[in-house]
Amino acid sequence: MRRQNRWALLVKYILVIPACAFTLLPLLWVIVRSIEPDTGIESYSFMPRAITFDNYSAAWNYPRVIDEDVTLGTMLLNSLFVAITVTIVSILFDSMAGYALARKNFWGKKILFWLALSTLMIPFYTVAIPMYIIVIRMGMYDSLSSLIVPFTASGFGVFMFRQAFLSIPLDFEQAARVDGANDFFIYWRIMLPMVKPTIATMIVFKVLWSWGQFFWPLLVIQDYSKMPINLGLAMFRGHNITRWGLLCAGMVVATIPILIVFLMCQKWYVEGLSGGLKG
Amino acid sequence: MRKKLRENLIAYTFCAPAYIVFTVFLFIPIVWVVILSFKEFSIITFNSAEFVGLKNYTKLLKDQVFLRSILNTLYFTILYVPGNTILGLIFALLLNKPFKGRNFFRLALFIPNIISMVVVSIIWSLIFSSSTTGIANKLLVTLHLKPIEWLSDYRYALIAVGIVLIWSGFGYRMLIFLAGLQNIPDELYEAAALDGASKWQITFKITLPLLRPTTFFVITTSLINSFQVFTPIYIMTGGGPGYSTTTIVNYLYTKGFSEFQMGYASAISVILLIIIMVLTFIQRKIGREDLIF
Repeated sequence: MRRQNRWALLVKYILVIPACAFTLLPLLWVIVRSIEPDTGIESYSFMPRAITFDNYSAAWNYPRVIDEDVTLGTMLLNSLFVAITVTIVSILFDSMAGYALARKNFWGKKILFWLALSTLMIPFYTVAIPMYIIVIRMGMYDSLSSLIVPFTASGFGVFMFRQAFLSIPLDFEQAARVDGANDFFIYWRIMLPMVKPTIATMIVFKVLWSWGQFFWPLLVIQDYSKMPINLGLAMFRGHNITRWGLLCAGMVVATIPILIVFLMCQKWYVEGLSGGLKG
Repeated sequence: MRKKLRENLIAYTFCAPAYIVFTVFLFIPIVWVVILSFKEFSIITFNSAEFVGLKNYTKLLKDQVFLRSILNTLYFTILYVPGNTILGLIFALLLNKPFKGRNFFRLALFIPNIISMVVVSIIWSLIFSSSTTGIANKLLVTLHLKPIEWLSDYRYALIAVGIVLIWSGFGYRMLIFLAGLQNIPDELYEAAALDGASKWQITFKITLPLLRPTTFFVITTSLINSFQVFTPIYIMTGGGPGYSTTTIVNYLYTKGFSEFQMGYASAISVILLIIIMVLTFIQRKIGREDLIF
C-alpha cells in the first residue's frame, strides 16, 4: 500500500511539473525580457544578461512619440480608474437590487428576477452595435464614461447578492425593525456587512472583468489619453514590434495590479466559483 | 394598503439603478439589434437607414467568408473544448488530495487565467513569431524539427491560437472540477475502499460519474466561450492568413467597425445570438437539476 502511494506521488510530480513549466515559463520569459537591456535582438535565455530597469522607465513614459503627454503610465491610471469605479458602483447597484429581490415582497418581483437572469444569456458581442450607437448618442464616445456607465450593473452580481441575502436569517432584520430602523439603514448597516465574502468575490470578478476588457474599448476609444492599458499595449505592439523589452515591461506593469487583487482575494474568488456552481 | 404601496416603492427604489442600466445597455440593444439587422446603414448614414427586409440574411447565407468563419469557429471548438476539459479534469484529479506543493501547483496552473487576454495574446505572438525569431521555433529546432510559420501559415494559425486558449483556460476548468470534487461525499470513497475497490475503479466508477454535472457545465460553458473568441485572433493573426482564422466575432468586427456595414454586422450579431441562446438553452435544460449557471 505504502509503496503504491509513493509511485502515485511520483506520477503526480511527473505530470504536474511539466504542466506548471508550460504555464509559468512564458511568464518568466516575459519578466526576464523586461529587466534586461533591450538590444532589439530576440533572446531565449531564462537568465537575464544584465539587470536594468530602463525598460520600465521607458514603458512608463511611452508613447511620447505619438502624443506629448500620453504615456503608458496615463493608460495604467485610466485602467485603474475604470476598474475601481466600475467595481464600486456595480457592487452597490447589484447589491441594492439583490437586497430587494431577496428581502422584499413587491409586485413584479418574479419578472425582475427573471430579467436579471436573462441578462446572463446575452453575449456582449451581440449588442455591441446598438450599444455603440447609444453611447455615441449619449455623448459618451471616446471618454472614460463609455467604459464605466454601461457596466455599472450585472445580472450575475444581482443574482449573487440575492443568493447571499437570502441566506441571512430574518431575526437580524426584524430586531432592527423593532428598533425603528428603516430599509436603507438595514441594507447598509446590517445586510451589507453580513455578505462580506460575496463582496470580496464580486470585487475580484468585477476587477478582473473590467481590466480584461478589450473589444469594447477598441470600439469606443480613439484618443490615446483615454485608452486603458490593454488597448494601449495592443496599439504599442502594432506600432513598435521591435522594442520587445519595453513591451514586456509594459505587460508586467499591466499585470501587477490584477495579480495583487487576485492574491488578496484568492480564497473568496475560488469559493465564489464553486458557490456560483452550486447556486 | 398604504403600507403595501410603500413596500413596493422602497423595493423599486432599490432595484431602479441596476434595472435602468440593464434597460438602456442590454434590453433596448437586444431588441434594437434585431431591427437593425433588417436595415442597411453605416454610423454616418444612420438617420437615413434603409429598410431592406431579409436582404442582409440572404446575403449572409451566400457569404463565403461568413460560412468560413462558422467553420473556423467549429474547427476551433474541436481543439479548444476537449483540450480544456480533459486537461482541467486530469489536473483536478491529480491535485485534489493534499500532497507536498499542491497549493503552489494549483496556483501555477491557474495563474494564466487571470492575465488579461490582450497580454496573453501579445506574449504568445512573441513566442510564435516568425521562423527565426520565435521561442516556439527555437524549441522545435533544438528538437531537430523544422521551424513552422505558426501565425502566417494557414495550416497552423488556428492551432496556435488553440494552444494559447488552452494555456490560459485549462486552469480555470481545473478549479471548477476541483469544486465539483469537493461535493462528492467522503463516505462514498470510504465505502468503496472497504469493499476493496482499486484506485482506478474508484475513479471510473465513482468519481467520474458523480462529476458528470460539472463536466457538462465545463463543456457547455467552453462551447459558449469558443463561439465568442475575438481578442487573441485580433491581436495574433488579424483573422489571417487569408480568412483561415476569422471567427464569427472577428467577422462581425470587420464588417461593423472597419467596413461600417452596420446592418450587415447586426445580422451577424443576431445569428451569433441565436447560436449562443441555443447552447445556453441546452445547458440550462439538461443541467438544470444540478446547476444554476
